[in-house]
Amino acid sequence: MKKILLLLVSVLCTISTYGQTDSQLAYSRVNTVTKVGDTLVVKLQYFEGKDADDVATAPTLYQFDFQYNNKLLNKIKTTWQPTSTSAQKAINSWNGYKFSIDSDKNQTDFDGQYASWLAGDASYTTNSDWSVERVTYQDVTALETGQEFVKYEFIIKDKANSNYSDYTNLLNANWANYKLSDGTQLGVTGNSTLSLSNIEGGDAGNVTLNILTNIIDSNIGDGTHFTYKIYNKSDIGSGNQPNQGATIVAEGTYDASGQATVTGLENDVEYFVWNWVDQSKDYMDNVVTVSDLALVFKEAIGAGSTPNGTSTTFDYYIQTFLANIYHDQAFDGKIDFSDSYEILAYLQGVTSDNTTYISKKGEAYQTGGNESTFGTVDNNGSYFAGIDATFKPTDSNKSFNFVHALMGDVNFSHSWEPDTEGTTIPASTQANASVARMSMAAGEKYQGEQANLDLTSELKDGQVIFTIGSEVQEMIGAQFNIVYDKTRLSLDDVIFDTGNTMTNFSNHIEEEGKINIGSFDQNFEATVKTGTPYKLIFVPTVQLQNTSGLITFKVNEGVKADGTQIKFIME
Amino acid sequence: MKKVLILLSLVLLIGCMKDDDILSPIDNVVEVPESLVIGDLQGIKVESTIVTNEVKMNIKLPYTGTYRVKIRDISKQLISQEKLEASEGDNILKVYVSSLQNDGYTLELTDDNHDIIGITSIVVNN
Repeated sequence: MKKILLLLVSVLCTISTYGQTDSQLAYSRVNTVTKVGDTLVVKLQYFEGKDADDVATAPTLYQFDFQYNNKLLNKIKTTWQPTSTSAQKAINSWNGYKFSIDSDKNQTDFDGQYASWLAGDASYTTNSDWSVERVTYQDVTALETGQEFVKYEFIIKDKANSNYSDYTNLLNANWANYKLSDGTQLGVTGNSTLSLSNIEGGDAGNVTLNILTNIIDSNIGDGTHFTYKIYNKSDIGSGNQPNQGATIVAEGTYDASGQATVTGLENDVEYFVWNWVDQSKDYMDNVVTVSDLALVFKEAIGAGSTPNGTSTTFDYYIQTFLANIYHDQAFDGKIDFSDSYEILAYLQGVTSDNTTYISKKGEAYQTGGNESTFGTVDNNGSYFAGIDATFKPTDSNKSFNFVHALMGDVNFSHSWEPDTEGTTIPASTQANASVARMSMAAGEKYQGEQANLDLTSELKDGQVIFTIGSEVQEMIGAQFNIVYDKTRLSLDDVIFDTGNTMTNFSNHIEEEGKINIGSFDQNFEATVKTGTPYKLIFVPTVQLQNTSGLITFKVNEGVKADGTQIKFIME
Repeated sequence: MKKVLILLSLVLLIGCMKDDDILSPIDNVVEVPESLVIGDLQGIKVESTIVTNEVKMNIKLPYTGTYRVKIRDISKQLISQEKLEASEGDNILKVYVSSLQNDGYTLELTDDNHDIIGITSIVVNN
């Protein structure tokens, strides 16, 4: 019997509380914000609850605390929303405090947290990242459900200046104190936090740029020879050139390894970087050589061998861009004998009346792009897609690889050889191309072969004789860039013994003490004779005991009929 | 008697020759500055490691013949090579560095078959 009575009481109690619901303190953003600096408008709202009789409660006192992250939000304005003239309203603010909840209760049990705060089981502790707002509203009549208390406006701050990595916890209600006119405390609940995602912009912090080039990889030079200039992408016009009056956002020099740390950029903003190698370096005169000449000649001979003119001997799309050193029209993308003979003239030291884009000391024509797209072409066949150096720092990506290339450097000796998908030309459109290179992977086609050679200087009969001894077969071209001590030597003669059909060249730059000599067979048939194909005769201008150090050589290379570079090894 | 006469004639002939003609060169007599003295039987030494314009070097050789003096850059790539005939013992020569870029180099002395006899280093500071 006792049990039955207890059950009845329990059922009655359940029935008596049926329909009772808590009031709510709701807060949400009113507008859409997407980037740092935007104004975020937050509304704080009242929603009525029901009493045990399922009747809407009608509080006349509304008081609540909330806190916001002052490192991510800058409060700029508050606006009361109720229009009642009889209402009493107050907003109090404290900076540097954060609410420590009563962990025995839910965070959204706002009336419970209020009671705990009064009892000392929840409290405010100092915390410089947070600010507390207390809103108090009292009137003789209850607010309509859904009525907004107040609107707050905040500016979204740059998280780069904070210890926060995102905007997921911007604002929380701490407690709420809703009372009926008779002093009855009402239950209040609501949402736990206000967060934002995909906020763009803001200081990108340290952004890392890496410059990739064979100048660094082959120890020809180092990263300090490279500088960068960063522009807003919107300031870049046709041909990837900065528009007139474009402002440089950041500039500097790479470190020896080819890396630069850039500051002053913003997240989610598109930039364009131009990378430059110091064109005054001596090795710039070694960029375009007989190996490049052979590749361009081969392309000039092979171009147009099919009616649609799409065949090529090149392995990469970008080679057409780099080889087009003479423009019949503004970048015509056509490799013909105009290009190859201009390179031959350059190697022979013949001054051309035409405007050419052959990179050399003091006159480097530079290009490059993102590593991932360098050397690709778009659907229209445009090469400019492959030389795009656009980048956009984001929260998740602050490191970018750029490659550098020089016009005329068709074999990539001083440039970056493309190594990504979409950069190689399909074998089906290659005619007379190197079969060996077709099977090689992107990025590894132009490694070259090695062969021994003997270059020596001797003092003989009062003359300094520099001889190049070669037993290398199958060379249809060879080149040697030689530097001599012009304070002690005067060039007297150059003797070629390369064979009857070779085109020999020598380019003597007397004022710099340089002479570039070599040979090339334009028919790709004859080969450089073995033995002593080249001999230079110098006359000493001072008394000499011997010749050590008087003559040095940097570029010593040959080329085979398929365009493969031969890198000479001297013992 | 005939033999005695021939012997006497030979003695007289030798007696008429200068001392220099009969002394075989058992050593290459070269005045070697103290800074270039090489204690070993062979090797290469320069007067100063840091070089501007030119520097004296001593190549000390085991026998008279053809040798090579090679200059290599940091990556050991050969950038200059002299082939010369030199005498056994000390040979005071020069290295001319005006046309070299400021950098560190190794000087290598080899025989004509590229077998190394000695190595030293220089720093060019033109």
